[in-house]
Amino acid sequence: MTSLPARCFSALLAFSALASGLQAAISLGENSPVQIGGFFSQGYMISDHNNYPVDTKNGTADFREIGFNASTTLGSHLRLGGQLFAQRFGKYGDDKVVLDWAVADYNFRPEIGVRVGRIKYPRSLQSDVLDLDVVRPFIFLPQSIYDTRLRDFQASFDGAMVYGSLTAGKNTIDYKFYYGDVPIKTDSGVADYFNTSSLYANPPGLKQIGLDSVRGAALSWTTPVAGLRLGATYSYSTNLLVSGPFRQVPSLTSSINLPKAEYMGVSVDYTTGPWTFTSEYFINKLNSTLTLPAFIAPPSHSTGGYKAWYVSAARRLGKKFELGTYYTETWNSYPSATALPSSNQRKDWALALRYDVNDHLLFKIEGHAIDGTRDMFNVPGVVNNNFKNSMSLFAAKTTLSF
Amino acid sequence: MKHSFLKTAFLAGLAFAVSSLVAAPALVVNKGLDKEKIDAAMVKAVFLGKKVSWESAGRVTVAVLKTGPVADAFYKAALDQDASGFNNYWRRLAMTGGGIAPKSFETEADLKKFVSETPGAIGYLDEAQADASVLVVKF
Repeated sequence: MTSLPARCFSALLAFSALASGLQAAISLGENSPVQIGGFFSQGYMISDHNNYPVDTKNGTADFREIGFNASTTLGSHLRLGGQLFAQRFGKYGDDKVVLDWAVADYNFRPEIGVRVGRIKYPRSLQSDVLDLDVVRPFIFLPQSIYDTRLRDFQASFDGAMVYGSLTAGKNTIDYKFYYGDVPIKTDSGVADYFNTSSLYANPPGLKQIGLDSVRGAALSWTTPVAGLRLGATYSYSTNLLVSGPFRQVPSLTSSINLPKAEYMGVSVDYTTGPWTFTSEYFINKLNSTLTLPAFIAPPSHSTGGYKAWYVSAARRLGKKFELGTYYTETWNSYPSATALPSSNQRKDWALALRYDVNDHLLFKIEGHAIDGTRDMFNVPGVVNNNFKNSMSLFAAKTTLSF
Repeated sequence: MKHSFLKTAFLAGLAFAVSSLVAAPALVVNKGLDKEKIDAAMVKAVFLGKKVSWESAGRVTVAVLKTGPVADAFYKAALDQDASGFNNYWRRLAMTGGGIAPKSFETEADLKKFVSETPGAIGYLDEAQADASVLVVKF
């Protein structure tokens, strides 16, 4: 029990024993403005045919997240805080500690506040809780929109946000407007999203990945109907550039530039008694420029993108259990004429059960029936020499939080 | 006739037992907040972490009970959600850089003491537990 995850688990177990009250954080002393919180999740995945979402055919316990946060207030309006995060998801993450979020937040009044630093990216309804097992019955959020392998591109951005809440009668509109840069690493799942194409020699894979900026807005309308909330999100990134060794001649470079990639979503969630229903529809549109070595072909331009949706239902069963299910689909908006139809779409039906041992410890199990192979990788570490059109995935996970 | 009387007595007893189990939460604040005009919309904004400062008394400090019928009744009345929804809301906020979670207490006595001694504090407890150490606010 000397590995980093084991040491973190022990430390969190000790903290959770100290925790009392609201299961979100611990105050350091009754009158202290400093609050700390954290979580440790460890899971196991196994699939029958394809290696998806990572190297799962032989089963893997390389599936965990660790987070530790601290926040404090200064004066009446200013709040400071940050969270360290480490993850291992198959070959991705490698338990390296990264800064997940770190913000200075000045709330002038409910209608307007400003946040700067590394901020959780509200790209879609649940983007800010990608890593938070404690707030849902599912192990995996619908992968059509919340692809766990692409966490680098969805988790947070470095920049600024203006936010606020406007109330009129029983209606409340929460808004966020933001601008910044998304840090992406060349050993991430985002990089393998491009590495899995036939364009790059892999290994070694991409040498460079980055973008100029991301900007967007998120709106949430809490309606007069109790428990009903509607949402809309829009964001776009500029000049996402990836480049690496050209597969046929690795000494030469090929690159893909996405001058503008747009992400649009609408959502509805409804809670009544023990039931929670959620649905989301999401569209991605992009233009790309492919640049191969000059003697092969001139730069070419194309349009791409995908669409996705899901509907989920969850029901609490007493104090200890919660049962959840969802169905989700994703498909290419501009499918390749030469590709197999099954590679242009993916459908996933999931069934999950959550058991809360106490306020700080929970267990989950989850099964998936998946049809289609869209966005499945074939890269070193996630090898799929022959995709099967249908597969099953089983996952189990435990989370300790305080 | 006798059967009817027994039935009436049983129903009356049941009604009394049920009414004694229904918690009646009271919103309580530190006495330094006597100049604040607190209405239902403000209570909602405060308990959801959207309003973080008072007009006259500095930082808002929210105090809540860990569990129980008083907590359930308060969240239903003030926020139109249950304790599970409230806890999940704050887990999400606190762990994503969106706010500082409320201070939580095992007992109403501890919560009342905290509210009475902490400038800017606001909380709730069973109305039978409220006394002169705190201000009770109707909203």
